Amino acid sequence: MVTVVIAAVFAVPLLFALSLSLRQIDRTLPTTMEWLPNPIVLGNYGQALADGNLIRYGLNSLLVVAVALPVTLVVASWAGLAMARSGPAVQRRMVAFCVVALLVPHSMIWLPRFLMVKWAGLIDTPFALMLPALMGTSPLFALLFYWAFRRQPADLFDAAAMDGASAVRVWWSLALPLVGPTAMAVGALTFLYFWGDYIDPLLMIKSPARYTLPVGLSILQQFDKTRWPLVMAAAVLYALPSIGVFLAAQRYFLAGRRMLWLS
Amino acid sequence: MDTSRRYRLLLLPFVIATVVLVGVPAALAIGLSLTDYDALSTPNWVGFANYIQLLDDRVFGIALGNSIYFLALSVPLRLLGAFGLALWLGGERRGTGAYRAIVYLPTVIPDAATALMWLWIVNPLYGPINLLLKSLGLAQPAWLADQDSARFVFVMMACLQIGEGFVVALSGLKGIPRSYYQAAQADGAGALSLFRHVTLPLALPWIALVAVRDTIFALPWTFAVSSIMTGGDPFYTTLFLPLYARIQSVDYLKFGLGAAATTLMIVLAALALGLIGLAARRGWYADEI
Repeated sequence: MVTVVIAAVFAVPLLFALSLSLRQIDRTLPTTMEWLPNPIVLGNYGQALADGNLIRYGLNSLLVVAVALPVTLVVASWAGLAMARSGPAVQRRMVAFCVVALLVPHSMIWLPRFLMVKWAGLIDTPFALMLPALMGTSPLFALLFYWAFRRQPADLFDAAAMDGASAVRVWWSLALPLVGPTAMAVGALTFLYFWGDYIDPLLMIKSPARYTLPVGLSILQQFDKTRWPLVMAAAVLYALPSIGVFLAAQRYFLAGRRMLWLS
Repeated sequence: MDTSRRYRLLLLPFVIATVVLVGVPAALAIGLSLTDYDALSTPNWVGFANYIQLLDDRVFGIALGNSIYFLALSVPLRLLGAFGLALWLGGERRGTGAYRAIVYLPTVIPDAATALMWLWIVNPLYGPINLLLKSLGLAQPAWLADQDSARFVFVMMACLQIGEGFVVALSGLKGIPRSYYQAAQADGAGALSLFRHVTLPLALPWIALVAVRDTIFALPWTFAVSSIMTGGDPFYTTLFLPLYARIQSVDYLKFGLGAAATTLMIVLAALALGLIGLAARRGWYADEI
C-alpha cells in the first residue's frame, strides 16, 4: 500500500500533464478535479507536430546529440583506457583530477564559458552546444570507462601490445567490445544531458531558427499560456525520447553499482 | 616499449578539453570578479569593489537568503527521500524493479519539460493540485503567485528528482553484510536499534556522498526551472543566486559583478560542505564510542 502511494507521488506529475494534453483545446479549463478529460483527443499532439517550429527545434536538438554522443564516447573511453593501462601513480593522479573537475559546480562555469565561446566567435552556432563532448561531457564518464577497463584481465592487453597493435587499434577492436554495458550507460547519460540541456542554448543561441527544443518550448509557453493542453502535449513529446532512452537503458542505471549519478 | 606510453596520447583530448572547458572558466570566474569587465571594453582591476557592491545590494541579499532557504530545505529532504525509499524498496520482492524505475523517472525528464508540467500542476485556478485540495475542502495556496509559497514549489520539485541519490543509497545499503544484522539480532536488537547501530553508521559514508553531491548541484539546478517558471518573481522571492548572476552579467553586462556573485555562491556551497563534513565526522566519532 505504502509502495503504491510512493509510486503515485512520483508518477503523478507526468500523469497530470499527460491527462491535460489529451483534452480538447478550445474548451474552458476544468474547475473541479478531472482525472481524465472527456472526450479524450489526440489532436494537440498533431497540432504540436504540425507547428513547423517545434520540428525545427527538435532537429536542432537532434543534430547536437548526433555529434556530441559519438564524440563523448570516443573521448571518454580513450581516457578510461589510457588510465586503466597507466602505472599506479598516474592512475591516482588522474582519478584525483577527475574528482576535482566533477566538484566544480556548473553555475561557476556557465558565464566564463559563455565569454570564451564569444571570444572564439562560436556564439549562435551548434558547435557552442557540442563543446562539452570534447571533454567526454563529464569527467564521471571517463571514470566509468576507467573502472570498466580496469576489471578486464591485463594479459589481454599485454598480448595485443606484443603483437605491436597501435593503441587506437587495441581500443577499437579489443577494449571497446569488452565494455558494452558501460558504453550503453554512458551513451544513455550523454543523450539525457544534451537532449535536456537548457542553459547552454539559452545563453549561446541567439537566432530563433537555431533554438533547440527546451528553449523553443519555454518560448511557446510564454506565447501560449492560455492553450495549456497544447503546451502539455509539446512538453510530453519533448520528454518522450528521454523517457524512452531511460527505459531502454534502465538496467544499466538501476543495477549499476558504480556512481552513475554524479553526472 | 613501455606499454603505458602507447596509451598516453589517448588521454590528451580529455585532459586538454577538461582544463580548457572547466579549469580555465573556473579561474576566469574568480579573476573577472576582481574587474569591471562588461564584455565590450578591456577590463579594469577594481579589487574587491564588486563584492562590496554585492553586500550593499538588497536584491543580492534576497537571492542569497532564497538560496540558503533552498539548500537548507532541499538537501536534507532529498537525503531523507533517497535513503528512506532505498530502505523501503531495497528488498528483492516482486515488482520492486518497476517501482524503482518509477522513482527514477522524474529525474530523467528534461528540466524544461519538468518546469512546464509544474507550471500547470501548481496553477492556482485550474491546476490539479489545487482542484484536488478543493475537492477535499482544504485551503488552496496560490503557489507561484504568492510570496510565501512560491519558493516552496521548487523544493517540492527538487524532492521528486532524487533518482541518482536513490541509486547510490540502494547500492550503499546493499553493501552492508547480512551477517551484521544477524549478529545484532542474535544479541536481541530490535528493528529501531538495528537501524540505529547497524544501518545508519554503515550507510554514513554514502549519506555524506549524496549530501555533498546534492549541495553542489542544488543551486545550479534552480537556474533552468526558475528562469522558465518565474524569472525570480513575485518580488524576487524565487530569485536564486545563479539567476541573479546571469541577470547581472548577460542583461546588465556587469560580468565582474556576476562573477563575484558566482564566486560567493561557491563559498556558500563550501560552507555547506563544511557543515556536512562536521556532521558526518561527529557521526563517525559517536559510532566509535
